[in-house]
Amino acid sequence: MKTEELIDLGRVRISGNQSVVWGGLEAGVRLTTAYPGAPISELQGNFEQLAKNLPRDNPFTISVGEALDKANYQLTAHWGQTTNEPNAVGMALGGTICKGDFKEREFITDEEWDLIWGETVFAKDEKKRIPVGARVMTSFKHLGGSTAADALRTAMNVVPYVGGLGIASGDDRQATSSQTQQDNKVLFAMHYRMPVFELHSPVVANRTVRNCYRLFEELGTPFGLVMNYNLAYREVTVDLAMNIDLAANHRQRAFVRDPQHLVTIGPHIRPREVKWMTRLLPMIRKKIKENYELLGGEVVQYGSKPKTLLVVLGPFREDFRMVRYDEALRKRLESKFGDVVAVAGDVVFPQPQELYTELISKHPIERILVFEEGYARVVYLQLLDMVNTLGLNVKVLDRTIAYEPRIYDRFSYIDHILAS
Amino acid sequence: MAATAKPAVQDEVTYMRPVSNCAGCGDTKVSWAVMEGMRRYNREHNLKGKDRYEVVYVADRGCGNLQGWHNYRIVDTIFFMGSGVIIGEGIKESCSDKQVVITASGDGGYNFNLNAIKIAGKNKRWGAINVIYNNFVIRMTGGQIPLETDFDKEGLSLGYEEVIHVNPFHVNDNAELFKTLIDRYFKKEKILVVADGVCVLDMTRDARAEGLKMGHFEKTEECLDVKFAKEKERVAREEPEKLKDMPRFKCRQCGIGLRCHALLNNDPSICQACGACKQFPCVTDCLAFQGLSFADSVSIDQLKKMGKT
Repeated sequence: MKTEELIDLGRVRISGNQSVVWGGLEAGVRLTTAYPGAPISELQGNFEQLAKNLPRDNPFTISVGEALDKANYQLTAHWGQTTNEPNAVGMALGGTICKGDFKEREFITDEEWDLIWGETVFAKDEKKRIPVGARVMTSFKHLGGSTAADALRTAMNVVPYVGGLGIASGDDRQATSSQTQQDNKVLFAMHYRMPVFELHSPVVANRTVRNCYRLFEELGTPFGLVMNYNLAYREVTVDLAMNIDLAANHRQRAFVRDPQHLVTIGPHIRPREVKWMTRLLPMIRKKIKENYELLGGEVVQYGSKPKTLLVVLGPFREDFRMVRYDEALRKRLESKFGDVVAVAGDVVFPQPQELYTELISKHPIERILVFEEGYARVVYLQLLDMVNTLGLNVKVLDRTIAYEPRIYDRFSYIDHILAS
Repeated sequence: MAATAKPAVQDEVTYMRPVSNCAGCGDTKVSWAVMEGMRRYNREHNLKGKDRYEVVYVADRGCGNLQGWHNYRIVDTIFFMGSGVIIGEGIKESCSDKQVVITASGDGGYNFNLNAIKIAGKNKRWGAINVIYNNFVIRMTGGQIPLETDFDKEGLSLGYEEVIHVNPFHVNDNAELFKTLIDRYFKKEKILVVADGVCVLDMTRDARAEGLKMGHFEKTEECLDVKFAKEKERVAREEPEKLKDMPRFKCRQCGIGLRCHALLNNDPSICQACGACKQFPCVTDCLAFQGLSFADSVSIDQLKKMGKT
């Protein structure tokens, strides 16, 4: 049986939403659920077309759909049926917890496997393989993060059975079509304590999505993907070459009984909450550092003795890439900050502490400037906490823009960085 | 000055419960019937080993999540409030063809997530067997009166082919019912099973208020566990050094199967008169029930008539 399918569809114009669909398909996602709402309706809309629930009416779904059909790709999409976000997340959870198959380890050591899977019914597996089932994606607009909070918080109580679940949130931070201006990074990071990423560009979002499935499935935890309005809708032209994980898509199906994990009552979840905070989260932080580039992150240095560390996320990160290609911008950056090192990543929570401590010990860093969009300063607070806890002699300064400034005319985030 | 009588205070009743389902709890009796129904289905179709079907029992929050019985498989999953049916719909997407997903929620959960009940009722891909534990009041959180519910009309309009009301304490009849429902599940039919009057604490209170004297279970001397308890007492008295080598109990199929503290401890004084043991298939046929029980009826009016006759 084929385990991979290579599809090359040439040059195609896709949106941010479609880029996430692309990443999900490459990961072999078999079940998608959603409750629609701007700016993310299109994400599930594309899955619905690919699953033939709706007519395929755009170049992306027509060409990709045809290729998936040939590859015998299995996809079930629930949109009209899931009548609200809690039900969309609930159905996704049910689809994720069935671990009827195994895969070989790719990222974790024996000891890490013991920590993650050692208390489950799979603990006796001598080869220490990863119990897996369907990879599942659920999506909603930012308001869904509030309405589905019960389901999402409960999902963290059934770690590691929720590995293989990706949760996409379309943030309408300017309330263009919503009743609140909301930043779901807060909910995912501070309330659910779930690994969360802010995607920064439709050109590469698919890679982050695909690799998140690979890594976090082994770590047994769901992950959040947050996009702002601009990213969700903006279209780019890409060379659409897909490497589809058919082995993940065609996994065996079965529910495996484990009431200690799947019945969420106080005596079962209390020890796991402690374990999550004290042992699993630090381990996940370490794995994120180890796989920082795989997860779409990079460290860029301008000059030999940087005293300033820039942390750029989301749209800031996308604009900051221009410095690499624009001599004038580089000069402006140098005159503003002198030598700099920039951490440009998609990961919002948990921040890879070891990466920062390494950079701080290697360079004469005096200050860290954090550029993130959204009102909660999620990354800033984590770095502040790190500096205080470790007693580092570095200042952490917040350079947040609370809300997405403009959506129809592109706001210059690089100008904001250089003016700060 | 003449003393005026204080008006009687009518307050809601919140029972002190053990941290597992009460003796006589209807939830656990239905749970047994679901599992037993599947066993009988396999036996009837002569299915063995890998050919056997198995139930995945997906429950909701409420009395079903009281701690203490989960090692004995009262349910397979419990997530968040109102989630039983929708989690079950997700599991149907990812479980094997040999697994039958049966979902359960209380009457509180029914109203809390009517959406999900409808999703299951309208989903053309799968059959659905959805059990509603009908307490008549939302007992778990203090006895609130729920929305008025007409399961018969609502069930049909939500997409279910049939709404079946059962007495939760007719464990044998219910096991037979679930056995027949498995075939209908495979034909993608949607069935709503309403277990009326699952809270014996409520009904016992009402029965007492009406002056009804409820009965209790009885075990004959042939009961393996009773015999074993006597033997254990003798060993404790005469050969205490051997006590540590003895198992904790001998049979206890009725107590564990029905999740009943009264049967487990062989203590009729804590029996709640559910009457489920009348129909429980005891291997030595030594289980009986003396007097009125809620297996006779969950209606206090009917029990009154029976009590008079």
